[in-house]
Amino acid sequence: MSRPYDSMDPKVMDDDMLKAAVGEQGPQEEAGQLAKQEGILFKDVLSLQLDFQNILRIDNLWQFENLQKLQLNNNIIERIEGLENLTHLVWLDLSFNNIEAIEGLDTLVNLEDLSLSNNRISKMDSLDALVKLQVLSLGNNQISNIMNVIYLRRFPCLRTLSLSGNPIAEAEEYKMFIYAYLPDLVYLDFRHIDEQVKEMAKIKHQYSIDELKHREAQMQARLEAEKAQQEKLAEHKMAFIDHLDGSFLFDSMYSEDVEGNKLSYLPGVGELLETYKDKFVIICLNIFEYGLKQQEKRKAELDTFNECIQEAIQENQNQGKLKVAKFEEKHLLNVNAIREESELPNIEKKLIECSDDITELFNMLMTLEMQLVEQLEETINIFERNITDLVGLFIENVQSLMAQCRDLENHHHEKLLEITINTLEKILKGEMDEDLPDDVRALFVDKDTIVNAVGASHDIHLLKIDNREDELVTGINSWCAQLLDKIHKDEIMRNRKRVKEINQYIDHMQSELDNLECGDIID
Amino acid sequence: MEVLREKVEEEEAAEREEAAERAEWAEKMEKMMKTAEVSREESVLTQDELRDLEKKLTAIEIPTPAEYSIINKALIDVTKLPASYTSNSPKEEHLLQVADNFSRQYSHLCPDRVPLFLYPLNECNVPKFVSTTLRPTLMPYPELYNWDTCAQFVSDFLTMVPLVDPLKPPTHLYSSSTVLKCQKGNCFDFSTLLCSMLIGSGYDAYCVNGYGSLDLCLMDLTREVCPLTVKAKETVKKKEKAMPKKYAVKPPRDLTSRFEQEQEEKRLQEIRNMEEKQRKEEEERLLEEEKAKPDPLHGLRVHAWVLVLAGKREVPESFFIDALTARSYSTKDDHFLGIESLWNHKNYWINMQDCWNCCKDLIFDLGDPVRWEYMLLGTDKPHLSLTEEDDEGLDDDDDVEDLGKEEEEKSFDMPPSWVSQIKITPEEFETRYSNGKKVIQYKKAQLEKWAPYLNNNGLVCRLTIYEDIQCTKVLEIKEWYQNRADMLELKHINKTTGLNVDYFKPGHPQALRVHSYKTMLPEMDRVMEFYEMIRVDGLIKREETPMTMTESYQGRSDFLSYRHINFGPRIKKLTQNSAESNPRPMVKITERFFRNPAKPADEDVAERVFLMLEERIQLRYHCRDDYITASKREFLRRTEVDSKGNKIIMTPDMCISFEVEPMEHTKKLLYQYETLIQLKNEEKLSRHQAWESELEVLEILKLREEEEEAHTLSISIYDTKRNEKSKEYREAMERVLHEEHLRQVEAQLDYLAPFLAQLPPGEKLTRWQAVRLKDECLSDFKQRLINKANLIQARFEKETQELQKKQQWYQENQVTLTSEDEDLYLSYCSQAMFRIRILEQRLNRHKELAPLKYLALEEKLYKDPRLVDFVKGFV
Repeated sequence: MSRPYDSMDPKVMDDDMLKAAVGEQGPQEEAGQLAKQEGILFKDVLSLQLDFQNILRIDNLWQFENLQKLQLNNNIIERIEGLENLTHLVWLDLSFNNIEAIEGLDTLVNLEDLSLSNNRISKMDSLDALVKLQVLSLGNNQISNIMNVIYLRRFPCLRTLSLSGNPIAEAEEYKMFIYAYLPDLVYLDFRHIDEQVKEMAKIKHQYSIDELKHREAQMQARLEAEKAQQEKLAEHKMAFIDHLDGSFLFDSMYSEDVEGNKLSYLPGVGELLETYKDKFVIICLNIFEYGLKQQEKRKAELDTFNECIQEAIQENQNQGKLKVAKFEEKHLLNVNAIREESELPNIEKKLIECSDDITELFNMLMTLEMQLVEQLEETINIFERNITDLVGLFIENVQSLMAQCRDLENHHHEKLLEITINTLEKILKGEMDEDLPDDVRALFVDKDTIVNAVGASHDIHLLKIDNREDELVTGINSWCAQLLDKIHKDEIMRNRKRVKEINQYIDHMQSELDNLECGDIID
Repeated sequence: MEVLREKVEEEEAAEREEAAERAEWAEKMEKMMKTAEVSREESVLTQDELRDLEKKLTAIEIPTPAEYSIINKALIDVTKLPASYTSNSPKEEHLLQVADNFSRQYSHLCPDRVPLFLYPLNECNVPKFVSTTLRPTLMPYPELYNWDTCAQFVSDFLTMVPLVDPLKPPTHLYSSSTVLKCQKGNCFDFSTLLCSMLIGSGYDAYCVNGYGSLDLCLMDLTREVCPLTVKAKETVKKKEKAMPKKYAVKPPRDLTSRFEQEQEEKRLQEIRNMEEKQRKEEEERLLEEEKAKPDPLHGLRVHAWVLVLAGKREVPESFFIDALTARSYSTKDDHFLGIESLWNHKNYWINMQDCWNCCKDLIFDLGDPVRWEYMLLGTDKPHLSLTEEDDEGLDDDDDVEDLGKEEEEKSFDMPPSWVSQIKITPEEFETRYSNGKKVIQYKKAQLEKWAPYLNNNGLVCRLTIYEDIQCTKVLEIKEWYQNRADMLELKHINKTTGLNVDYFKPGHPQALRVHSYKTMLPEMDRVMEFYEMIRVDGLIKREETPMTMTESYQGRSDFLSYRHINFGPRIKKLTQNSAESNPRPMVKITERFFRNPAKPADEDVAERVFLMLEERIQLRYHCRDDYITASKREFLRRTEVDSKGNKIIMTPDMCISFEVEPMEHTKKLLYQYETLIQLKNEEKLSRHQAWESELEVLEILKLREEEEEAHTLSISIYDTKRNEKSKEYREAMERVLHEEHLRQVEAQLDYLAPFLAQLPPGEKLTRWQAVRLKDECLSDFKQRLINKANLIQARFEKETQELQKKQQWYQENQVTLTSEDEDLYLSYCSQAMFRIRILEQRLNRHKELAPLKYLALEEKLYKDPRLVDFVKGFV
């Protein structure tokens, strides 16, 4: 590069430029001729070098789906962009550019080596997605806050780091600080880190690191606990009994029930509510336990089914493989014999023999496949029946438990009604001693109002219970339907795939034979 | 002549008488033992049979007695044996009395039974009770801890001598130490030694005096199958049939006719039955042939063996060990025809059970006094205390019971053994066989054993298997080796097929495990197996035929599992003939690979075939998980030239491929071209590897030949006797130690001792004496130094004088001297001059050093603890 590139106009990354680069860097000599003849598709390119091109903006790279190594150093790029599609990228060089902030790297999860040296970056961030990062080069940038190094603790594979030429590198503590906070680092600023010095640094920053570690561990533990919670919930959802292991349903019954809450202020209703809640929760727990058990059962059933199906398929495949292998052995001998044979009638005879063999193989393989289809169909039917029965039983039992809930609710409703009417009478007679909140008192105007209020509360409760039941029943039914549908579909797919494979193979064999024929006749 | 004939007749008559007597005695025996086999036919022996018997007897007896006594007398010096051998202690005398009493009662109660074998004479002709002849000893060799190795050692170590009289127990029973010394003995000696060792290592073992078959008594194994030829039966593993799973698919309907199947089955069964019958008949015929002629003395031949009872040392079941052959038998074996008595180091038991059915019905509950009559009370065997009422009906048993009761009152302990400790030196233990060699004849087989390091090729055991019973036609030979530097363990030669198989232990320089071959010439049929963990290339096996070579691999990083090479006929070159410089052309290389889990199945080659002649490369890929067909590709690597003379790089018809799932990028010529280039390189590599394999075979063959030639034996560094190096080292170490010791002694020489000796001993030195002592010592030393100087001076002068004389003589006779004399003179002169010069140097050195030495001594004397108090003041 003799000419000063800043005097040149910025170039645009267009198709021509990329093609030229690909052609230049692609295969050479004989292979190159072939490549030229055929043209190279961008998606086949694994490595691309675009340095000293005066590029201002990264663009047009979306076609390079399989690119693993990209060099864009010594350009005048100002922003990292347009790299979203290059998910296979392992090696990215963006050094000697004008980049000011790290960005646009969130999809490059496979990146191992990232070079951003000689830019204008002032802060290390937005690298969270690069979990495989091993080498990070950020020399000669504007990073000024030493605490920014702590950000790099999240990369467990990071071994090499270069930060020289940044404002932070001038600090006295710079090296010791990094040794201490990034203990897995092996190279810093292209120098091997001495174990002893590392140890010293560790001792020096012991306290702050311990604190940091403690905080990290806490964070980790919290995350894990959350995750476990999530998993458990998902598992319960799979069993269609989520939130039934407590008073959630009961609470939800009262959460939207304005009148019910109001009525709970009445004397005697509190205790009533308490006992009601206890009984209700016990039934809920029953449903929950039962649901979990049933889930286990269904799972075991499904597992055995899958296992058996797999075994059958495997067995069938092995037979098929054996047949194909046998055929191939024979076929090879025959073909060789034909190649060596010179008499035309003989050749024809042998060719006919060969094609007969092929037909026979086809028939055999197809018979095998048909057999398997029949076997599987039968088994699937049995499974379908069993799983439907299981689901039916489950629904039935859950429904009976839900009916108990409803009974409880009815009972409660009656009691509540009694109390309210009593209270109403008392109020009407003016014997009411206790203070009632105004909005509650407002309900006790006449009998209709209060009965309506209690009835509304009751209706809401029943609705909630019905909803929960519906949710459960539809959930399990749709699960069952989906499962069976999937099994059927999978089986059909499998069958089609196998038939296609057989046909393809037979066609290939036939066409090969035909070619042989033609070749011989031409010969 | 007549006299002679008379004498012969007399002898014959005497013998006949003897035989008759014996027959009578045999009859008696039969009555007692009721041995089924001997009864009837033999009770009335005709004259012919008698004569026959007599002939046989003489044939057996004649050589043995002489041999036996001669050997013992020659080898054992009776006078050197300890006193316990030549005399009896009072306790032993007492025991003998008890035994005598016991024996007398026994013969009184059971008059028709043979006298007991209780106290035979030992090597010093002193009667010793049999139980005291047992000396329980635990051998210091871990190999001798178990009964099988113990018995094997006894049978290997001793040479069998038949009994003097096969119908009577021997009159002498020697101590085990004597037997070990002469390495010879009869079955009683064998059993006694083995029993001592077994009891010593914790077994519940007994010596048994009884009756055995002819084969057993004469250690005749020719009717037994050699244990080494018996192949271990493969344990048939019964696979547990898994319960059919709930959703297991039903098998496809079977459309064959059941009736037809049954008919077919029947037909096959018939054929099988026929074959079976024929085979059985054949077997029976063979058995008949092999069966021994009936033995006229069956059931009368006395034998001794060892009984091991269950219980101790985790022995699950009682069994017999025949000490002669070291074989173990069940207690119901046909070879053992009866038991008279048995004993261990504590007690003696008489068998009171009937032996009409050999030993099959015997019950070995020694605590049962009805079945086993014991001699001494108070052994560890619990005995059933039978009350008088229980056996009132049985008078016989009652008497026997009384017999035991009498002993009870005396309650007498067995005295300790009179035999001195049984010792086996490590050399003896290692050499094992007397003269280091032992030959055993088995049925259709001969087993030869040698001590290790006896044969210089390391051969320790050879088994020759014959085709016929007469052992004339060799079928196969197996040779076991030990301590070979080339780790050869076993050589198996099959004479019928001409196949040799060598087995190696781990550690051969080429990691060879098995090598089977017909000839050592290269490029012939051979199979080599290797220890693949040691080899870098993971080769397990290499099979060769004249035109092919097949190699199997395991655990390679390139997943290669198999390589098969077909060779074409060698192209003749006139100048070069050796296999190395003119390798056979390869026609075809087939390579197979294991599945590489890192690659998708479609790109993972399973098999590739390089057809050199057709210039074709065939690839077969691995099969995908849920597919039954695999991708294939065939390349033509022929380079062609198009009509314009340009080289065609790649055309679509150069690569025929079948893909299970067609992919876009593989259709590209570029991809195919690159694959082809890569394959070409790999072909080169494969050819090179094949060529290297060939070279390796040659190398191994060469190495094997060299090893066979040299057959060096390796010696363990712990073997201090054989390992020359370590021996030398040890000796050198000892020498160094010795010298060190001498030096120390020298250093301790006391220079004041001669002067102190002059003073009266035990008295404290006075000051005056001390000073005098010091002065004397110093003056003496001074004198010594002067004397030494004088001595050197004198020698110096003498040498000079002699030289002068010689010079004078030379000058006088110079004219007449021959050149030889002159040379002699000159050499003398130079030598003399050398001597003189040395003496001069020594004198000078002495002069220099003498004052220093004097001062050193003075210094030392001042510091001497004995003088230091007195001489201090003078310093």
